[in-house]
Amino acid sequence: MTTEDRVACVKEARKLILSAMRGCDSPQIEAILRSADMELHWALWSLGEAVSLRPELDYGNSD
Amino acid sequence: MASVQLSVLGPKARASRFWNKATETMPRERLDALHLHRLRGLVQYAWDFSPFYRKKFDEAGLKPQDIRSLEDFKRKVPLTDKSDFIHLQQEQPPYGPTLALPQEFVTHHSETSGTTGVPLGIPFSMVDTVRYGESWVYGFWGLGIRPGDSFYFAFGWGNFAGFWSAYWGARRLGCRVISGGGLDTKGHIQAILRLKPTVLISTPTFALRMAAVAAEMGVDLANSSIKFTYHAGEPGPTALPAMRAQLEKAWGAKAGELLGIAEVDAMAPGCPNGDGVHLNEMNVYAWQLDPKTGREIAEGEIGENIVTSYANTAQPLLNYRTHDLVRRRSKCSCGRTWAKFEGAVLGRTDFMVTVRGTNVYQTAVENLLAEVPGVSMHYELVLTREADNDVMTVRFEPEKAIAHRRELWEKAASEAADRIHAALHVRLEVKPVEPGSLPRYELKTKRIVDQRPKEFRRALDR
Repeated sequence: MTTEDRVACVKEARKLILSAMRGCDSPQIEAILRSADMELHWALWSLGEAVSLRPELDYGNSD
Repeated sequence: MASVQLSVLGPKARASRFWNKATETMPRERLDALHLHRLRGLVQYAWDFSPFYRKKFDEAGLKPQDIRSLEDFKRKVPLTDKSDFIHLQQEQPPYGPTLALPQEFVTHHSETSGTTGVPLGIPFSMVDTVRYGESWVYGFWGLGIRPGDSFYFAFGWGNFAGFWSAYWGARRLGCRVISGGGLDTKGHIQAILRLKPTVLISTPTFALRMAAVAAEMGVDLANSSIKFTYHAGEPGPTALPAMRAQLEKAWGAKAGELLGIAEVDAMAPGCPNGDGVHLNEMNVYAWQLDPKTGREIAEGEIGENIVTSYANTAQPLLNYRTHDLVRRRSKCSCGRTWAKFEGAVLGRTDFMVTVRGTNVYQTAVENLLAEVPGVSMHYELVLTREADNDVMTVRFEPEKAIAHRRELWEKAASEAADRIHAALHVRLEVKPVEPGSLPRYELKTKRIVDQRPKEFRRALDR
């Protein structure tokens, strides 16, 4: 897998996690998903991607 | 037999020479483009979320969109200093307007040592702890530490950020962590013998003290399970090659070092070559200035390190004066493109003394002392001011072997003074003191005793 492909996979994974987080009514599950997204955001950062400073800055104000 | 082979890392990752080759060897042009993107994001973030920076930027007439280049960042974003933060924290404890996140994001509190002043409170969010811990792992991996190794922390788990972050890093790497919290020196030694860790985490002087106490117990730690010692908190094996020799002999292990600043990041893991540290450019942006003129210096010159951290989003630090003097290089035979600081920190702007027109750096004196027979590792450099000049006096305890032969104390003092004179072209007074009379430290050893009038020194210790 090339770095570009790996970056694309991680971005896709973030999208899926954000979908699962949206409207979540379980604090435990939301906390776990936030933790997973934090790691994926960090993976993108560490792959040299130009991402936002913190993962929450990508969440917007919905839900 | 189980059908699945369990492993913390797969074989391809485990075989890598780098923890993250892509970023550690990234070409300078790409690194700088990434820095610009991240710095612009950080300036916007500080403007949006930190009352401290909003005020500071307003006073400087700066808007986030004014930062279009790295030059803009260096010139337009005001320099900050630890004292700015401490004063605001004292007015509104615990963090005042320096906090850039709602309190509920703060998951860990640390403090600077505050040995000569007021400690600085350091809030970390969860993201920050992950980033901070990762900085250690680059150094661990470069030294040869791998999943399966186990870490012994000779550390009391107080508020010292450095070793908490080493713990975060050891967890990331996938290693067993053994806490030495609550034990005295003998207790640490017994725990190491019983639990057989392979990595020791401590300050370098405490590692040497442990070896000395072990010898009194009849234990040779060079035969223990420890394969690596890794240090921070004070000048160690990279800054002081003689200390590397002492550590590696005493422990029969490979010694590593990381340059960290509690409130910034564990920012510069040791180079595998052992002659410097590499700035973790995924977490920190740095440039260097001449502290006298305030102008940026060229590569290879000695200057004050000015850092900006991406790792502390709870309390951002932009263009932060470290008061550390470094010599930056852009190339290294280890393959890393991350900026290298030769010999780690060469001295402090506040502890650099000019004796009869010659700049005298703390580590230069320490390196020379370590080579003098009869001079033990227990010494201090006393700074005073006489007739408008800085004066540095070396006070040392003689080595145990000559403790009962006073006539040899003066010989060692005279040899130390001669070596310093030959190498640095200044003559310092070197005085022996009674064995056991200088203070002992478990965390940061205080080598500098600054007795100069206040106006000639910085009041706040880091």
